[in-house]
Amino acid sequence: MLGYLARRLAMTIPTLLLVAIAVFALVRLIPGDPVQVMLGDAADPAQAAQLRAQLGLDQPIPVQFMHWIAKLAAGDFGHSITNNLAVLPLILDRFQVSAVIVLVAVAAAACIAVPAGLVAAWKQNSLLDLSVVGGATLLLSIPSFWLGLLLLLLFGLKLKWLPVIGYVPFAEDFWQASSFIVLPIATLTMVEIGVLTRMARAASIEVLRLEYVTHARAKGVPEWRVLARHVLPNAFAPTWTLIGLVLGHLLGGIAVIETVFTLPGLGRLLVDSIFARDYPVVQGCLLFTAVIYVVVNLIVDLCYPLFDPRVTVA
Amino acid sequence: MRIRANTAIGGALMALLLGAALTGAFWTPFDPLRINLRARLQAPSPVHWLGTDEFGRDVLSRIMVGAGASVVIALVTVLLAIGAGMVIGCAAGYIRGWADRVIMAVNDALLAFPGILLALAVMIVVGANKLGLILALGLAYIPSVVRVVRATVLSIREKEYVEASRVIGNSEVYSMIRHVMPNAIAPVAVLATSMFGWVLLAESALSFLGLGVPPPAPTWGNMLAASRPFMETAAWLSIAPGLCIALTLLGINLLGDSLRDRLDPRMAHG
Amino acid sequence: MRRRRPSPTWALGLAALALLAMLGKAGAETLLRTRLNADIRSTDPGTNRDANTDGVIAHVVEGLVAFRDDTSVGPMLAESWAVSNEGKTYTFRLRQDVKFHNGATMTADDVVWSLKRWLDPATQWRCLSEFGATGIARIEKVEAPDPQTVTITLDQPTALFLSTLARPDCGQTAVIHRDSVGVDGKWIAPIGTGPFKLAEWKRGQYVDIVRFDGYVSRSEPRTGYTGAKDVKVDRVRFNVIPDSSAAKAGLLSGSLDVIMSLSIPDLEELKSRPEVQLSITPALGLTGILFQTKDPLLKDVRIRRAIALSIDTVQIVDAVMMGTARPNNSALPLGSPFYSEAQSHGYVQNIAEAKKLLLEAGYRGQPIKMITNKRYSFVFDSSVLVQAMAQTVGINIELEVMDWAAQLDRYNRGDYQSMAFVYSARLDPSLSFEMLTGPKAAQPRKIWDNPEAQEMLRQSMMIDDTAKRQALFDEMHKRFIADVPMIVLFNGAELTALRKGIKGYAGWLYPQPRFWGVTVQ
Repeated sequence: MLGYLARRLAMTIPTLLLVAIAVFALVRLIPGDPVQVMLGDAADPAQAAQLRAQLGLDQPIPVQFMHWIAKLAAGDFGHSITNNLAVLPLILDRFQVSAVIVLVAVAAAACIAVPAGLVAAWKQNSLLDLSVVGGATLLLSIPSFWLGLLLLLLFGLKLKWLPVIGYVPFAEDFWQASSFIVLPIATLTMVEIGVLTRMARAASIEVLRLEYVTHARAKGVPEWRVLARHVLPNAFAPTWTLIGLVLGHLLGGIAVIETVFTLPGLGRLLVDSIFARDYPVVQGCLLFTAVIYVVVNLIVDLCYPLFDPRVTVA
Repeated sequence: MRIRANTAIGGALMALLLGAALTGAFWTPFDPLRINLRARLQAPSPVHWLGTDEFGRDVLSRIMVGAGASVVIALVTVLLAIGAGMVIGCAAGYIRGWADRVIMAVNDALLAFPGILLALAVMIVVGANKLGLILALGLAYIPSVVRVVRATVLSIREKEYVEASRVIGNSEVYSMIRHVMPNAIAPVAVLATSMFGWVLLAESALSFLGLGVPPPAPTWGNMLAASRPFMETAAWLSIAPGLCIALTLLGINLLGDSLRDRLDPRMAHG
Repeated sequence: MRRRRPSPTWALGLAALALLAMLGKAGAETLLRTRLNADIRSTDPGTNRDANTDGVIAHVVEGLVAFRDDTSVGPMLAESWAVSNEGKTYTFRLRQDVKFHNGATMTADDVVWSLKRWLDPATQWRCLSEFGATGIARIEKVEAPDPQTVTITLDQPTALFLSTLARPDCGQTAVIHRDSVGVDGKWIAPIGTGPFKLAEWKRGQYVDIVRFDGYVSRSEPRTGYTGAKDVKVDRVRFNVIPDSSAAKAGLLSGSLDVIMSLSIPDLEELKSRPEVQLSITPALGLTGILFQTKDPLLKDVRIRRAIALSIDTVQIVDAVMMGTARPNNSALPLGSPFYSEAQSHGYVQNIAEAKKLLLEAGYRGQPIKMITNKRYSFVFDSSVLVQAMAQTVGINIELEVMDWAAQLDRYNRGDYQSMAFVYSARLDPSLSFEMLTGPKAAQPRKIWDNPEAQEMLRQSMMIDDTAKRQALFDEMHKRFIADVPMIVLFNGAELTALRKGIKGYAGWLYPQPRFWGVTVQ
């Protein structure tokens, strides 16, 4: 087990190196540069050149890359071009916001989706199944920003139950913080329920057809026990993989929801930085999400044998 | 044999979509691009069934033309991602060893980027047009397919009948095509149908973030994104494309489910 | 890359909070809440800045002179000034007993120190190049003959000296206390003379400014960035809210008091709301269609002219701006003191003439790419309408949407056929033309490469005589219309929404808020 862990960790190093190269190349391929964004329509060429030199953007790309990697190796992510903040603390600060929303939403979605998918599979092709599938499909088909805005209009403006804008860290005021992130979590949960329910249902149908389920039923094991003991754990395995995928994607990908609810999350930081061509922040964010993604998937893979005893980590 | 509700409803919805798209390719009630500043933001009426947008263009006509554009984009993107993903995923899952490790390292590297943001960056590089969109989203979705296919292949290749196939002397490739691929189709069908939806949504999300199919050509995604400022004053602008996306997804997903039921080798005994 | 430790600002913020807590009156303070669409870049005026930064900092620092409501220049920290030595020496008489935020009294020494800091290349002042070899004039000497007098000597006379000093993007050439920077010369936080003090900057979330109780106001009425600055609220919070729908929702739910830079659809929606009042002010920006006059197709002035004649500017402006702005084909903004009768003659739609010009030019439907963006809805909408109108005379425009940074890159390199573009405000007519005209070989971003126009521009920058400058601008306008390097469509409007309880707010030609003189009820 430990040997496997060490090997997996060693394997992440080339992945992360590939990510770093890809990130750097991609970011520099994007036309436009931070100096132009800063100077806008009044960019005096001499002034622009001076700024570029200050930021080290006048050096050859490979030199810039080596410079960045060397500093990364020492744990220095560099400083934002737009506001001169150290990138890593900035990212960690923003990540807290995204992480709370994503973790709560995915956990909530899984708690609803897995049982729902199981029951739908159990009663396959019944009215119940059709409504679960229909409901799930509708949920995953609504654009998240649209759903978010509808919720905002309803609960924030019409009913005035929840504040419309703002964010307070949990450390400052738990209840106030909660009131700000209820809607984003609800939006994300609804969308994710759609995705996960379908997966859980598909996996459960597979398992329900396996011999040992028929066998268990033939032995006279009560139906709830068949579902709980035999179907649920096995059906959960593929869903678990999907949860890993979803988590990894969401941690960097809720930019749209963060924008609608004006939350200072990682996704928004990344989108803003792409548009501002704030290279150190874009690079840092992408690398950071990559690390998170790799770690999440490592955990998912390590847990996989717990749910599917047929696969052993070897 | 029972009539399957999912086949019927899914088929009907997709037929409706294809009908609208095909009709839209040859005929629409109004010119979808014609601007009429005297008829801006009109509510649905007998003349304009779905109202007009902020430039006075007929929403129904734009929905019909947009259907074609959205379907083509989603379809090509999904085919691209599934095709490439299946091949790579099967190879990785079946060959294992070093090849698998290299493939998965690259795959994980790609997967490690948040899809929509990777697509955003790629679109800025290749340009905001249909080809750019397809490339960007295709690239963003290939890694998910690879991972799911590989996971399925990994779990299936342990099963008794695959082992049996190998034991009786069938070649690895034969075993893979005969036994593993059909089993991988079910999860991939589910993934493909979901992905069709994701692409439609991602297209609107990209428009929402400021890039998408260039105007004035309509797609449901850019119509939905453009309707955002008018959500309160002209709700029909967002309801029509939003509903179209939702219904299309419902249709394709139901069809995907019924497709999977048919493809599943053991379904016949069920 | 420069590094800066943010802790001193935070410490300042914490100190302010602690002070508030000690007073125990945190609940009783009047708070005005407004919105920024993006975080400020720094608190260092006129260096690492953008429009948001300028807008916040203008509440905290002041310069010798400042713009008035009509973009003329008036005294701010200066009591008065005199020009001598053939327009090369400016002698500023300073106001008495002006206090810095740390309680120190401002003297000529502080002014000289501040100016020298701006002129030090290490400061990276945005406007340093204006006073360098290629700028309007070189500053040769800055002296303080006595504690209330500062003299500045230039190497040549210029019409733009005072307006450059006053420019908000130059940080109004602020006079700051020397403790604003550390012993190592690095920026800490602004200790200015403004009516507000910087209280707390929570990055990515908000910037707080609080009333400066030691502020000594000028006596004449509020005008532009000068005049009386009577602060009637305890605290102003600039919330960072990128999404405009969310900002609008915040206003309606009462969690924001003022939001600026509304889009037109927002305006239409807010009009009907009883809890909201609107402030619509003409702005100085310039929206229009740029042509690349070096393009193989568009180098033919007849094609450019045909496009100009195919469009109905009035209709475009009405549709895009919904009656909040008026059409204007001139490079000078409406509202400029130099906008004369001559400037009002622009293009009149003439389909027959446009078709005739196209025929003469041998145009046969070749596609013309037009870059546009969605960052500014009025730019995007304008390009869609221009495309549709040009279509009616057979001109085939293809739109290409880019993100703003990519479009700016194309603009700066001159790499486009045409683009829908928006220029930011220029506060002097010479600067309005300066942003357009210049030699493309040396400055690819310039759109109007006309040597005669460049000569007239040079003269307009030297001469301080209003009538002579007016004549130059009128002549330049005629040639600008004839050459069609660009079709100016309109100057925008600043649309601001306030909750009903906010009184005393007024917009002005420069699209930035002023929160002095504003009350919250």
